Amino acid sequence: MDPILLGGIVAIATIMVLFSGVSVALGLLIVSTGFLLIFDGLRSLELIPEILFGKLDNFALLSIPMFIIMGSSIASTRAGADLYEALERWLTRVPGGLVVSNLGACALFAAMSGSSPATCAAIGKMGIPEMRKRGYPDGVAAGSIAAGGTLGILIPPSVTMIVYGIATETSIGRLFLAGVLPGLLLVMLFMLWSLYSTWKSGDKALLSAGNYTWKEKFEILPRVLPFLGIIIGVLYAMYGGIATPSETAAVGALLCLLIAMVIYKLWNPKDLWVVLRDSTKESVMIMFIIAAAGVFSYMLSSLFITQAIAEWIGTLDVNRWVLMGFVMLFLLVAGFFLPPVAVILMAAPILLPIITTAGFDPIWFAVVLTINMEIGLISPPVGLNLYVINGIAPDISLKTILKGSLPFVACMVIAIILLCFFPGIATWLPDFVMGEAV
Amino acid sequence: GATELRLSHQWSNKDIRNQVAQIVADEVAAADVDLNIKIFGSKSLFKPREQYRPLSRGQLDMTVLPLSYAGGQQPAFNLTLMPGLVKNHDHAARLSNSPYMKALEKKMAEDDVMVLVHGYLAGGFVGKDRCITKPSDIDGLQTRAAGKAFEQMLAGANASITSMASSEIYNAMQTGILNAANTSSSSFVSYRIYEQAACYTPATEDVALWFMYQPLLMNKSTFEGLNAEQQEALLAASAKAETFYLEEAKKQDAASVEVFEKAGVEIAEMTPEDFAEWRALAQETSYKAFVEDVPDGQALLDMALAVE
Amino acid sequence: MAGQSSAVSSRTGNNPFLRGVAALSTLAGWCSAAMIVAAVSITCQMIFVRFVLNHSTVWQTEAVVYLAIGATLVGLPYVQRLRGHVNVDLIPLALSKTARYYMYLLTMGLSIAIVAIVLFYGYEHWHLAYERNWKSDTIWAVRLWIPYLSIPVGFGLFLLQLIADLVAVLLKIDAPFGLEDV
Ligand code: NA
Ligand code: NA
Repeated sequence: MDPILLGGIVAIATIMVLFSGVSVALGLLIVSTGFLLIFDGLRSLELIPEILFGKLDNFALLSIPMFIIMGSSIASTRAGADLYEALERWLTRVPGGLVVSNLGACALFAAMSGSSPATCAAIGKMGIPEMRKRGYPDGVAAGSIAAGGTLGILIPPSVTMIVYGIATETSIGRLFLAGVLPGLLLVMLFMLWSLYSTWKSGDKALLSAGNYTWKEKFEILPRVLPFLGIIIGVLYAMYGGIATPSETAAVGALLCLLIAMVIYKLWNPKDLWVVLRDSTKESVMIMFIIAAAGVFSYMLSSLFITQAIAEWIGTLDVNRWVLMGFVMLFLLVAGFFLPPVAVILMAAPILLPIITTAGFDPIWFAVVLTINMEIGLISPPVGLNLYVINGIAPDISLKTILKGSLPFVACMVIAIILLCFFPGIATWLPDFVMGEAV
Repeated sequence: GATELRLSHQWSNKDIRNQVAQIVADEVAAADVDLNIKIFGSKSLFKPREQYRPLSRGQLDMTVLPLSYAGGQQPAFNLTLMPGLVKNHDHAARLSNSPYMKALEKKMAEDDVMVLVHGYLAGGFVGKDRCITKPSDIDGLQTRAAGKAFEQMLAGANASITSMASSEIYNAMQTGILNAANTSSSSFVSYRIYEQAACYTPATEDVALWFMYQPLLMNKSTFEGLNAEQQEALLAASAKAETFYLEEAKKQDAASVEVFEKAGVEIAEMTPEDFAEWRALAQETSYKAFVEDVPDGQALLDMALAVE
Repeated sequence: MAGQSSAVSSRTGNNPFLRGVAALSTLAGWCSAAMIVAAVSITCQMIFVRFVLNHSTVWQTEAVVYLAIGATLVGLPYVQRLRGHVNVDLIPLALSKTARYYMYLLTMGLSIAIVAIVLFYGYEHWHLAYERNWKSDTIWAVRLWIPYLSIPVGFGLFLLQLIADLVAVLLKIDAPFGLEDV
């Protein structure tokens, strides 16, 4: 059979299976096994356990559970509340200051957590009730946190960047740095929108929220120190010659656990278990998808589909930006349905050769891809951040959350467009710190 | 229809080892014997260290891989990445046609694997701050070595051994986690290590410490299942590829020196005395460990050392 | 709505089989978490040994990788019990109650079949490594059957938990896909 046609059949089968309610990882295994059985025979089934094991046999993957522990240990303390309160006390004069300080807190927290749901939960637990209490509309309160939470995978450390780095063999240190400025750009766009919408609402109460004395403003600063300590410690370990990026994750995890235990008195074994349980749950889920996606890409490669599609697109005579447009459309649609890790792992082997042949920078592409995935996190039908918000504030309807996060999706699209015109936003910092790219 | 064979390897399509595979594929296709070789390069099918087992079970037909990757299954294969065992490329070619290699091929046959194309590639050392030519140079340095036997020898020279993927060498040297590394000439170039090194000790025509046997292998039963014409075409193509492999392997070392020189890296030379010193150390460390580990290890080692 | 819900876990009712499997899965979850903690500690130890003592670190990387693999595979049943494996239930949501029930039987059947296949070949793979005494090709030379053991153990327990989930729906203790009728 023609590999391209076969590829189409695989795509349809994959969509059907993945939408059937089976878990993503098992769905990928089911599709892969089915096609391998039909086109490669029984002998290829013997390989599945080895491929599963082999995909996980990679030191860099270890940083995934560790960066998740970092986030969830801090998230289980009142650190998130401290962070956002500190920002709030300093930003009271700003109209919509509370939303802005929540977004800032999300960005800061993202610099400590590798995953988006953790970021969302950490800031949202305090932020959403507080915003609602002060009269912000439900949509704004929920939407801003859902969107701010997505920064978790753009601002380093980032689980998706690690997965991308492994799948495409690009430097994880470089990828992390590439996410910094686009992350800041995104926060700024988010904040600008919040300011504008608050100002436009004309609500007097929101325009001039609470008032803090200078004493109160300075009093809270020491409570932000642990954060700065962690962020600086991790950055120093990573870029200062102590550890490789994958190893640094362990330092970060240990630091966060210790700070949670010592400073925030997270001593109770039961509370510690909750941190561990949530981290284990999220890590195992992600790692199993990674392993299963390995079998899936073995199937695609074994049936020569990957190679055929890459060759076929190579022969297409289209403008590179048209090509990039289609790639992004594909990523966006895939992101609506699938968790970021699954999209990256399924798409990277096919897309990366196309991207590099068309002359795009793989580091820049990682950033664009990540922002696409962020959109997926706050869009139906599968948006991990939406469930988190739903868990924090069950009385806010999904429709309200969605409506509230829509303007932030627009901000993300603007960020992608800006990145297309000014790729340096992503590539300048890694080039500056680590020298020109390979 | 035509018989289709699948060949997997880990290298990019510019790599010499892909060219070797491509020559075999092209020649076989040109022979018009209803035989097709499909090449899956750049780890697109299997991860590097996961190729030997599928090969031995017939799930994969052919591969180009460092045989020492299978050292965990056949400890005798560790001899194919042993410090100081191979002096230069011509010596390597003589080793490939010696009773020693016949003994190794017998071990491969136990796993239903055979060699189509023999070939060795050489490598050297890089130092972040200073040159590494003799054992005392590496004392106290954080070192990443390629291969178990090299780790044992370097540990014997008081180096601190740290293990990481070759793709991480660049960053680790840049940030100072790593002071020295040892791997193949081509990896040094493809990972752009010349940007981070102060000194490079390459393999020369006279002496080189690091040689790795990287043959093109095939599943034996699959080969025997082909008809006489196809087998003949495959062997003829392999012979042609082997000649190319040897010539190109020699050029790789010189080419890597050129790249390092151009980047302003100091090029150090390992003297025959240095080499002797390393080899003496290897005898105490890696050779010794090998003989202890492998039942017929001493006999194999003697066979290898007997090749002039 | 689809996907991962944080507070839900599989229901067991008073059924001894379901409770037994749930207990096994929880035990597996503890082991998984312990392995992650061990991996964190060993990595930190490695950095300390290398950076502060400037000594060799030959076994840590490998140990940590095998621990992470073990944590993942052994953690599978626990995450299944916690309903932590993210899914997309667009089709089940669109179906009627009866159709949804049969859809669940179909997807669960396929899931159980695939996990059984991996378990079978995973056991064979483990057994081969054990019989032939395969080792990793490093100085540490780990006997590979030890890390490979996580495949049959992890998938075996995963299979049990999936069967228990199916049984719970068949006995009407739990709803298909965890979707309650509204
Ligand atoms: Na982050
Ligand atoms: Na989505």
